[in-house]
Amino acid sequence: MRLSAQQEAFERYLVSGNSPPHSKLLKQFQGDMLSAADGLMIYHNAYRSRLLSVMREDFPALHRWMGDDSFAQLAMAYISAWPSRHFSLRWLGEKLPEFIRGYIAEPQRSPMIELATLEWAFTLAFDAPDTEPLSLDMMSRFSADDWVNLRVYLTPSVRWLQLQHNTVGMWVAAKAEADIPDVVALSTPLDCLVWRHELVCQYRTLEPGEASALRLLTDGGSFASMCESLLSTHGEQAPLQAATWLKSWINDDLLVRTSRIGTLDVIALD
Amino acid sequence: MSKSNMLGFGLGLRSEYYQQILEQRPAVDWFEIISENYMVGGGKALYFLDAIKEQYPLVMHGVSLSIGGPHEIDADYLRQLKNLADRVQPRWVADHLCWSRGSAHQLHDLLPLPFTQESLLHVASRVRLVQDVLQRPLVLENVSAYVQWKTSCMSESQFLAELSSLTGCELLLDVNNVYVSSKNQGFDPWQFIMELPHERIRQIHLAGHSDYGHYLIDTHDQPIADPVWALYGKALSYLGATATLIERDDHFPPLNELLVELSKARSISANVLRAAAPCA
Repeated sequence: MRLSAQQEAFERYLVSGNSPPHSKLLKQFQGDMLSAADGLMIYHNAYRSRLLSVMREDFPALHRWMGDDSFAQLAMAYISAWPSRHFSLRWLGEKLPEFIRGYIAEPQRSPMIELATLEWAFTLAFDAPDTEPLSLDMMSRFSADDWVNLRVYLTPSVRWLQLQHNTVGMWVAAKAEADIPDVVALSTPLDCLVWRHELVCQYRTLEPGEASALRLLTDGGSFASMCESLLSTHGEQAPLQAATWLKSWINDDLLVRTSRIGTLDVIALD
Repeated sequence: MSKSNMLGFGLGLRSEYYQQILEQRPAVDWFEIISENYMVGGGKALYFLDAIKEQYPLVMHGVSLSIGGPHEIDADYLRQLKNLADRVQPRWVADHLCWSRGSAHQLHDLLPLPFTQESLLHVASRVRLVQDVLQRPLVLENVSAYVQWKTSCMSESQFLAELSSLTGCELLLDVNNVYVSSKNQGFDPWQFIMELPHERIRQIHLAGHSDYGHYLIDTHDQPIADPVWALYGKALSYLGATATLIERDDHFPPLNELLVELSKARSISANVLRAAAPCA
């Protein structure tokens, strides 16, 4: 048997659900203190155990919410449907929210997708590309023209989610190892940012007004246009409110100055 | 290969110890990184990598090259590996004599090859390709194995010796892996070591394993076992001074416990080399 055929047979066994190896494969190996069948089963078990462990680490809240057995069942079904194709296990869980969409029925489906998406956002934020965020120090040296021409985009680590459920509360409870609250559908979607600030992943929810203002600014709007958009709701306090939010976004390392206009897709979870 | 560039005694760089390493500057001669952990866009891992490489020599150790796999060498992986090597400027770049990716899946394990002429030619051509891209010799490690292919016509150590002769690649002798495989497969670990070309051995690994009675598993989550220490000392009497690294990948103890193990490695090495030195 050629090398590639031998490896394909071994590979098929590892990814199959059958634990005892087929006799045809078994004949390819010899054992000593450790029999060939036991040796093959060590590899077979290690494959599952390693991938399941990564899934538990990447989706701890979903794991806690579902319980170990149900989560393991979901994770193994997912791994069968979406076997790892990246050299790094860091990407193993990338398609879990998509998989849940087709695998789980409502009413569990939507909140599970949201929780998995929220957790994956933290994974993405953790090692997203570094960049130099806009700082108050940089702005203190702005000329009048700099203010007029200021355009910003969101730091590459930012993931912007629109949540339909109390997913943040469920995540917080799971992280605190507390009882996870029952799922509650929100009357209006809640904007939530996940990003990395000074090496540590953060999250923050946004009130609708702040979300609209941040959306306008990071979609290529100027600071002046953001002030203008707030006139109808804040009147003469609009510039002060705009400046307050801008300062808070900058303190959170959310913005990067650009000469180009950048946008970020919102992850809608409906 | 000259042993004059012997790096001394190192530890695997793991995130659990990042802060302590920078704050306390422990007496470690060098650190070994898992290459894949730093093939990322940014964040904590690269921040600490850059800071620690200013303080210590580094070595790169990969787990995903799949040098014996049935597929093409992953060009994207190789490009990222080269970029990382350019950033880190490691003393050497290592991976394993194994396959970890099949024709359709990443298998994320260090799977054994059949040690045949066909495998030898297959792996040799891929080692040459990798070395051409990296512009440096690749260092390859023997793995722990739980099965043996019946088609093998040579031992793993003979295969490594042939491979090194054909390609100029260097070798990483994992003493724990030799011990684990020897117990599982019933061969003489000392003969394994003696079959390796000692002048090609760039580095030694030491690690712990789990004993399940009639077989061992290479878990890297335990202190180094006494028989592995004994084999290490014996290996040094054959190899001479060799850069030695202690690997721990789970159940991370306080850093001091690893430093105690590292001191033991230094002490064994000093004793063996003193005994082997010609009398004045």
